[in-house]
Amino acid sequence: MTLSDPTNDQPPAADRAPRGASGPAARANGAPVLKLEGIHKSFGGSEVLKGIDLEVAAGETVVIIGASGSGKSTLLRCINFLELPDAGRVYLKGESVGTTVSTRRGERLVFKEQELNAMRRHVGMVFQSFNLFPHMTVVQNVMEGLVSVLRLKRDEARTRALRHLEAVGLAEKTEQYPSRLSGGQQQRVAIARALAMEPDVMLFDEATSALDPELVGEVLQVMRDLSLGGMTMVVVTHEMGFAYAAADRVIFIHQGQIHEQGTPEEILKHPKQERTKAFLRGLDHI
Amino acid sequence: MWDNFPTLLSGLSGSLQITGLALLFGLLIGLLVAPLRMSSRPWLSAPAGVYINVFRNTPPLVQLFWFFYAFPILFDVSFRPFEAAVVTLSLQSSAFFAEVFRAGIQSIERGQWEASKAIGMGYFTMMRRIILPQAVKRMVLAFFERAIELFKTTTLVSTIAFADLLYQATVVTSQTFRPLEVYTVVAAMYILIITAASLGVRRYEMRLARADA
Amino acid sequence: MGYQFDFTVLQPYLPTFGRGLLVTFQLAGVCLLLGFTAGLLLALLRSSRIAPLVWPSAVFIEIFRNAPVLVQLVWFYYAFPVLIGATMSAFAAAVLALSLNTAAFSAELFRGGIQSIHRGQWEAGRALGMSNLTLMRRIILPQAIKRMIPPLTNRAIELTKMTALASTIAVPELLYQGRLINAVTFRPIESYTVVAVIYLIILWAGTILVNRLERRLGESD
Repeated sequence: MTLSDPTNDQPPAADRAPRGASGPAARANGAPVLKLEGIHKSFGGSEVLKGIDLEVAAGETVVIIGASGSGKSTLLRCINFLELPDAGRVYLKGESVGTTVSTRRGERLVFKEQELNAMRRHVGMVFQSFNLFPHMTVVQNVMEGLVSVLRLKRDEARTRALRHLEAVGLAEKTEQYPSRLSGGQQQRVAIARALAMEPDVMLFDEATSALDPELVGEVLQVMRDLSLGGMTMVVVTHEMGFAYAAADRVIFIHQGQIHEQGTPEEILKHPKQERTKAFLRGLDHI
Repeated sequence: MWDNFPTLLSGLSGSLQITGLALLFGLLIGLLVAPLRMSSRPWLSAPAGVYINVFRNTPPLVQLFWFFYAFPILFDVSFRPFEAAVVTLSLQSSAFFAEVFRAGIQSIERGQWEASKAIGMGYFTMMRRIILPQAVKRMVLAFFERAIELFKTTTLVSTIAFADLLYQATVVTSQTFRPLEVYTVVAAMYILIITAASLGVRRYEMRLARADA
Repeated sequence: MGYQFDFTVLQPYLPTFGRGLLVTFQLAGVCLLLGFTAGLLLALLRSSRIAPLVWPSAVFIEIFRNAPVLVQLVWFYYAFPVLIGATMSAFAAAVLALSLNTAAFSAELFRGGIQSIHRGQWEAGRALGMSNLTLMRRIILPQAIKRMIPPLTNRAIELTKMTALASTIAVPELLYQGRLINAVTFRPIESYTVVAVIYLIILWAGTILVNRLERRLGESD
C-alpha cells in the first residue's frame, strides 16, 4: 500500500495548524505525556529492543514503522506493560513506573501488579485481533472497563459508552454481539472501548492488519479523526497513507533500535538512511 | 506385614492376567463390532449401536453381577469368578474399543476419502493404504488410555471373590487386623503402577504431537 | 434356554428399588456439588504462580485420578477411620471418596477450559487496567464455563456409574437394593436385569441430553 489511498486527501501534518491545545493531556508541567528511556527487552536469548529513547508530547501522533521482527510491536506493548522491559524507564505524565532494584546481575526493573493496573487506566490499547469480549454485547464491552475498573455507576457508564459508540459511528449496533459485526465494526467498538476510559494516550498495534481491505478505510478514518481531535497517539502500522496524512512524527525501527525519525514528509518522501529507503522500496512492491 | 507381600503379589498377577485377556478379547470383539456400527445398513448398525450403548451406559459392577449371577442360570452354564470377570470386562472393553475405532476412522478428513476415490481406489485398498494408517496412530493412544482404565476396573472382580490385588488386600487385612497399613500399601501399589503407565502414555502422546506438527 | 422370566416376583419390591434410586441420586448429587467446587479450587491452585501451591495440588490430582475408585472407597471406609481414630458411616466414606475423585478429574477439566481462552482476552482485560481477579471473574470464567459444560456433564454421568460401587461398602443405593432383593427372592436374573435397565435408562437419557447440549452450545460459538 503506497501513498495513494483515500485517507490522503488532507495536506501533510506538518502543514496543518498546530493541534494539542485542547488535547486530553494538558502539559501542566511541560513534561511530555510519554517518555521512554533506554528500553531494553529480550525474549529467551535474543535482544529485541536494544535501547529505545522516545518522547511523545501531548496531542502528538507518532507512527512507528518497520519490518516484521524489528521490535515495533514489542515497543508498543512495553508502553502499557503487556511486556515488561528488562531495563530502562517508562514515564507517564512525568511519573515513572516501576522501581529499580540492584541484583547480582546488575540493575533490574521490578513492577507491582497494582501499580501497573492503575497506570493502564490512563493508556488505551487497540489490538490487531480486536479482542472484544464475545460473551458481552457491544455496549457492554465498552462499559466493562468503566464499571469494573473505574467503578462508575451503571447508568453513568452506559451514557458514556453510548456517547463513544456514537462517535465511532456504531450507535445502531449497541445491543448486538461482536460475532454479528464485520471486522471493521468490531475494531471500531474496540476503539470506543479504549476511548471510553478517557486515556491520556492511545496505542494502536497494527489495528488494521487483520481487516479485509475494504474495511480498512472506516477504521483509519476513525483514527484520523481522533488524531485531528488532539489525542496523543502511538500507532504501529503498515498503512503509509495514514502515516503520511495523520502523523506528526514517523519513526523507523530497525532491529530493535530507532534508525531514523522525522516528519512524514522527511521520512516517507525523502528518507536519508539506506535501510529506511530499502524498507520503503520493499513496500512499493505490494 | 511384609510376610504377606507374596499374597498381595499373587493378587497383582491375577489383576494383570484379567487385564491382558480382557484387552485381547475386547480388542478383537471391538474390531468386529465397529464396522457393523459404521455400516450404512440400519439392520446392522442399530443392534451394534444398542450393544455399545448398553455396555457404556450401565455401571461395570452391574454388568459383572449380571454375568456372574444371572447369566449362568439363563443359559444353564457355570461360571467361575475368573471366567465371569474375563467375559464381562472383554465385552465392556469391546464397546469402548468399537467407539475408539469408529471415531478414529471418522476423524480422517473427507478429503482423504475423496482423493482416494478420485484415483479410482476400491474400498479395501483405500482403507488399507490411506485411511487405516492415519487412523491407527490416533487409535493407539486411545487404546493405551483404555488399557489403563481397564486395569483400574479389574478391582471390581474382588466383589465376586476373584483373587485380584484388592481381594488379597481384604484377605490380608482379615488376618492381620491392620486395615490402615494394608489398604494404604495396596492403594499405593495401584497408584504407582497407574501413574507410571499414564506418564508413559503422555510421553507417547507428546511424541505423536511432535511428529504430526 | 428353558428359563421362565417372572418379573411379577419383584412387584412388592418396587418401593425398595425406588429407595435405592433415591440414595443413588442423593449420593451423586452431593458428590457432584462437592467435587466440582473442590475441583475448581484445585484448578486455581494448580495453575497459580505461587510454587508451594502448585505441586501439592498436582500430586493430589494425580493420586485421586489414578487410584481405582473401588480402592478409594474401600480405603476411606476401612483405613481412614483408623487413621483419624473415629468411625465413619458408609455414606460419608462414599461421599469422601467419590467427591475427591470427581474433584481430581474436574480440576483438569477446569484447567483445560481456562487455558483454552484466547490470550487476547487476557491482554484486552489487562489493557483496560483490570486486576487478575476481575479479569477471571468478568471475562475468562464466563467464557470458559460455557466450554466446560459438555465435559462436566460427562463427568456427572461417570459419577452416577461410580455410585454403584458404593454398594460394596453397604451404602443402600440402587445396586445394593438389587442384591438385597436377590437375596430374598433368589431370582438374580430378574433382580439384576431390572437394576441394569434402570441404570441404562437414566444414563442413556443423560448421554442424549449431553449430546443435545453440546450441539446447542456449539451453535452459539
